[in-house]
Amino acid sequence: MDYSFTSNDFWLMVRGAGITFVLTIVSGFLGTLLGFIVGWARTAPSRIVYHLLGAYIDVIRSVPLLIQFVLFNSFMAIAGHPMDPFTSGLITLSIYISGYVSEVVKAGIESVPGVVRKAARGLGMTYLQDFFYIVIPIGMRSVFPAWTGLMLGLMKDTSLIAVLGATPPELLRASQIIINRIQEPLAILLGAGLFYFIMCYSITVMTSRYENSWQQKREVIR
Amino acid sequence: MIEIRDVHKSFDNLEVLKGIDLTVNNGEVVCLIGASGSGKSTLLLCINALEPIDSGRVIVDGTDVHAKDTDQDKLRRKLGIVFQQFNAFPHLTARQNVALAPRKVLKMSRADADILAEEYLVKVGLEDKFDTYPAQLSGGQQQRLAIARALAMKPDYLLLDEITSALDPELVGEVLDTLRMLAGEGLTMIAVTHEIPFAREVADRVAFFHEGKIHEVGLARELINNPQQPRTKEFLGKIL
Repeated sequence: MDYSFTSNDFWLMVRGAGITFVLTIVSGFLGTLLGFIVGWARTAPSRIVYHLLGAYIDVIRSVPLLIQFVLFNSFMAIAGHPMDPFTSGLITLSIYISGYVSEVVKAGIESVPGVVRKAARGLGMTYLQDFFYIVIPIGMRSVFPAWTGLMLGLMKDTSLIAVLGATPPELLRASQIIINRIQEPLAILLGAGLFYFIMCYSITVMTSRYENSWQQKREVIR
Repeated sequence: MIEIRDVHKSFDNLEVLKGIDLTVNNGEVVCLIGASGSGKSTLLLCINALEPIDSGRVIVDGTDVHAKDTDQDKLRRKLGIVFQQFNAFPHLTARQNVALAPRKVLKMSRADADILAEEYLVKVGLEDKFDTYPAQLSGGQQQRLAIARALAMKPDYLLLDEITSALDPELVGEVLDTLRMLAGEGLTMIAVTHEIPFAREVADRVAFFHEGKIHEVGLARELINNPQQPRTKEFLGKIL
């Protein structure tokens, strides 16, 4: 057995970083979609919907993600639909982040001044036209930084999927595999941290470029 | 023609409209005056159904605004409204602000809507602000933008809710000038206003609101110069 860091180890980490990235993108996308629907529904007049979905959000946000991974995976097995850990982890991550996204979406919708929405409706726009052409663009600009923060958190939370022993291993688990063999935790963790940093930082750069394009037009300054 | 018949409206337990009757004929400018909280602004929102009413009827060109089978979105196209608070769409340029509804509601092409938008921006004196975002406009310019945006839908009626109240005094004049021009063109307008001299000059008739009721309605000059009801006298005495 080789006790030194090999190029295979490096590629294992690169692949792990790729898995982490895919997990983040897919669960971020699904979670944002679900969170958008939940957040939007909570701005509807129905008090029943508001409180039911509020309970959903409370549960998701109050139970540690680690426990949610295990519970969901076990539940599906008990219910007779055993899933491979990767898929069940992905679904759990999506549901988990949707709880947070929905609150951000709700805040975004509510950030749009009532009189602006009245003006839109007063021009003859329908509820949906007002929602898509006025509320979403304005609301998105005000909560975009919060949403970006959620996605960065999500990327780091993907490492918890390791508890299910999901394969292929994502970045942190890949690092642990290497650490177990070569017994150089500091160097490997430093490397893994660098990978996480590069991925998070590129997301930050991309999103702030987007935000800056709004700032330059002085749209968001009131 | 706008016919308001015995309209009642409450917010929770507070009755803000206690049986309003008013008819506005085409080509007429009617100003609604009275103390804050007397129900004037609420009435405007009830005319274009941005607020529901509890009882009574609002009839615009023969259509019962609050009837269940009325297409209120369609009806609002002919009832332009401008508010006291600035309400330009902050993410759109002046041109886009005006062109949006013609494009999305009237299904005009982008090019046609842009031409239309520029035409109305010129009309309200914003010919050098086509590509400017609302945040860079003064209050008076924002209100003129809101007027242009409402006019671009070619409404038959314009509802104005205290549109100069949030402006610095030196900016009020430019907005009132725009309204004078529109009145001169024969546009039917219902304006809630605290600008009594403006009402006297431009309005055909004035309705005085007090605690959810119209206490007095009459020709503008007569009502303002020579009010009959004690409440009207008291209000005008304070304000003039």
